[in-house]
Amino acid sequence: MRLLWRGIAGGIFAACLLLAGCQPAPSRPAGMPTVLAAETFLGDIAQNVAGDRLKVETLLPVTVDPHEFQPKPQDVVKLAQCQVLIVNGLGYESWLQKTIEGIGGQRLEIVATAGLTPNPDPSGAHPEGDPHMWMDPLNTIHYVEQIRNGLSQADPAGAAAYAANAAAYIAKLQALDQWIRNRVAEVPVEKRLLVTNHDALAYFGRAYQFTIVGAVIPSITTDASPSAQQLAALIDTIRKTGAPVVFLDVGENQKLADQIAAETGVKVVADLYVESISGPGGPAPTYIDMIEHDVLVIVGALK
Amino acid sequence: MDTYPESPARLDVDNISVGYNGTSVLQNITFQIPHGARVAVVGPNGAGKSTLFKTLVGLLPLREGKIFIHGLSLGHHMDCVAYVPQREEVDWRFPVTVQDVVMMGRFGHQNWLQRPGRADREVVEKSLRQMGMEERTDRSISDLSGGQQQRVFLARALAQEPHIFLMDEPFTGVDATTQEATLALLDHLRRQHVTVLISTHDLNLAASRFDSVLLLNRRVIAFAEPKLVFTPENLSRAFGSQMLKLPDGMVLVDECCPPEDEHAHDEAHK
Amino acid sequence: MNWLLQPLEYAFMVHGLLASIIVGILCAVMGTYVVLRGMAFLGDAMAHAILPGVAIAFLLHGNLLVGAIIAAVIIALSIGFFSKGGVVKEDTAIGILFAAALSLGVALISSIQTYAVDLSHILFGNVLGVSVSDLWLTVGLGLIVLVTVVLLYKQFLVISFDPILAATLRLPAELLRNLMLVLLALTVVVSLQTVGVGLAAAMLVTPAATAYLLTRRLAPMMLVSAAIGAVSSLVGLYLSYYLNIVSGSAIVLTATGIFLLVFLFHPNRGVLWKRK
Repeated sequence: MRLLWRGIAGGIFAACLLLAGCQPAPSRPAGMPTVLAAETFLGDIAQNVAGDRLKVETLLPVTVDPHEFQPKPQDVVKLAQCQVLIVNGLGYESWLQKTIEGIGGQRLEIVATAGLTPNPDPSGAHPEGDPHMWMDPLNTIHYVEQIRNGLSQADPAGAAAYAANAAAYIAKLQALDQWIRNRVAEVPVEKRLLVTNHDALAYFGRAYQFTIVGAVIPSITTDASPSAQQLAALIDTIRKTGAPVVFLDVGENQKLADQIAAETGVKVVADLYVESISGPGGPAPTYIDMIEHDVLVIVGALK
Repeated sequence: MDTYPESPARLDVDNISVGYNGTSVLQNITFQIPHGARVAVVGPNGAGKSTLFKTLVGLLPLREGKIFIHGLSLGHHMDCVAYVPQREEVDWRFPVTVQDVVMMGRFGHQNWLQRPGRADREVVEKSLRQMGMEERTDRSISDLSGGQQQRVFLARALAQEPHIFLMDEPFTGVDATTQEATLALLDHLRRQHVTVLISTHDLNLAASRFDSVLLLNRRVIAFAEPKLVFTPENLSRAFGSQMLKLPDGMVLVDECCPPEDEHAHDEAHK
Repeated sequence: MNWLLQPLEYAFMVHGLLASIIVGILCAVMGTYVVLRGMAFLGDAMAHAILPGVAIAFLLHGNLLVGAIIAAVIIALSIGFFSKGGVVKEDTAIGILFAAALSLGVALISSIQTYAVDLSHILFGNVLGVSVSDLWLTVGLGLIVLVTVVLLYKQFLVISFDPILAATLRLPAELLRNLMLVLLALTVVVSLQTVGVGLAAAMLVTPAATAYLLTRRLAPMMLVSAAIGAVSSLVGLYLSYYLNIVSGSAIVLTATGIFLLVFLFHPNRGVLWKRK
């Protein structure tokens, strides 16, 4: 009887060793490279560059906070199978690191922010700098160039197409920038006060002369919680500067913001799309829509 | 069971005191028990009988005094003493069979990494047969009746091949089969020259079947042959108001059996 | 047959399978003691109590896993210390220390301005991100625990079943109990990688509880528990692959499903089962 158990145990152990030993490579379809973008807005931007030649898949679903994302097996399969991976960089995808290490293999990684100089992150949570650079469309132009270069490297035959697509999209981004300036002009500079849920709008603020009064969660990651002192300091700052609105991302926990609103009389607007675009039926189904929507919301609230 | 103790299994208790948190349960207890003797420990509830046994096994610390077994202090002779408490405080739902429980008694004879061998299994089998439980070696202990469980633990103590065998009230609240088996065990132990101490409320049994009686009530009232111990004076000193002396000289002792102070004490100080 | 082999084409699945099977076996074996000695709460508490250890390791730029191990061991020994002699009951001691450790961890983490996402992920586990070095660590620690359990089988049996006999046999009961707590701590930390904090407690309890219903003796209970743990991990991971659900949860749900099947359909379940 003992022998039987030992035999089974030994067999299982041996099987495990065998499994560990053989790691056949996944079968790869010949032809066009598979492209995966980490975040939804990246996916949209990249698709604009890829045009009809490639289909860009996205890893994160819409409006999911990357910090809370738990990859499922098929997500990891997508990662394992992709030949081109597009990430934002600057530590924004730290949750992805371990998974990528586990997969091993080779892929071309396009880091959208490579070459840009980021703002330092005031909270220190992202030592490489504040990663939310896509909130300034002029930064996004750089993203587009990085993606264009990367795709051209992976698929040289399409280089011309990617260049043309990129140029067209960049023109749209420049038009977007101009449109934003016009919209923002409707709000006098002294009223351009932003209080947000966390420090994700620094680049937007710098580009269009908004003052970031403060953030409910004084860190650029949504997982941290403020201390009593920090919350009190924020309330004081709001009172002092007279900021009239607290802006939240869609789907974020409103409780703290409501608390601040009750104390200071500010309005809570929970309608921004910052970390992700919306679904196809929503108000921000593409990157450009996302920025336009956010600008309209902000300007509308502060006018 | 052919291992005889080579040297006298003399139990030497020298002026010991045992207590919990300031209260003393046993005071200045001194006695010597020779090799192979059969002693009944009697006394009223709260006299300290269970406490004495627990101290002899090393479960309770000594406040004062010393205990010697074979002339060596307590703790030297591991597994020389076997102890069967009145109520086993084991986890009855634990997945063990009768065989498993009795085999635990053999662990003292094995070194730490040793697995039970054929010799151990033979001892276990003999012990079970002595207690009439050899038919039930593969039963879970939770399947047994109270008396059967008691016999299993007696078998385990037997399997320890001890020099000194302690039983705390083995005749209280058990069925007739178990009582007979226990009496048979006493005779068996006698033949093996194992020193036996049992505590009991059955004064008649103590008087008839035992070489000596230790009459306790926190102190040693008397320790001698039964007829010298069971005198009205001694009984009066031990049992106090639980005793009634009738005009014609007869003595009545009211022994109520349900566990009381003493065992409650033990419960609180595990 | 292809459905069996297809997930194995990916290294991450193979690593995940190996890690979760080993963890499944480990948790199930230690889980036997957890279930029999009523330590289910302890396993859960330990899993959460490693938070301050991880936070401190992070602050000192040390290895997070080592920090977790140290914290778990400290918690285990503290529980042993506070509940020694029965002054404070074991579950009370666990409750106090668990809450304290968790709060300390949260306080430390929120005071760190440089909060890192890595910290929360050590709590949630990521069986799909197991690297080869993780695997070696899991195997190494796992072997230490399993070998100790096998070597000290008799001793652990006696202190769990009959503390009075343990004293009579002069076993160092206190030492053995603390050793058992340390082994449990190691098991919990190793499990964190695959199923994460919330679910490690489940893997400690569910397979062993199922095995308890199926066996009558301790050694078979451990073996059956290990088998169920391994099978739950294997099946759970495959299910998560094909149904595309979170892997850790799939494993626990599988283990629970097996338990329910046995609980409902076993002919003589319960305390007084009669097999003969």
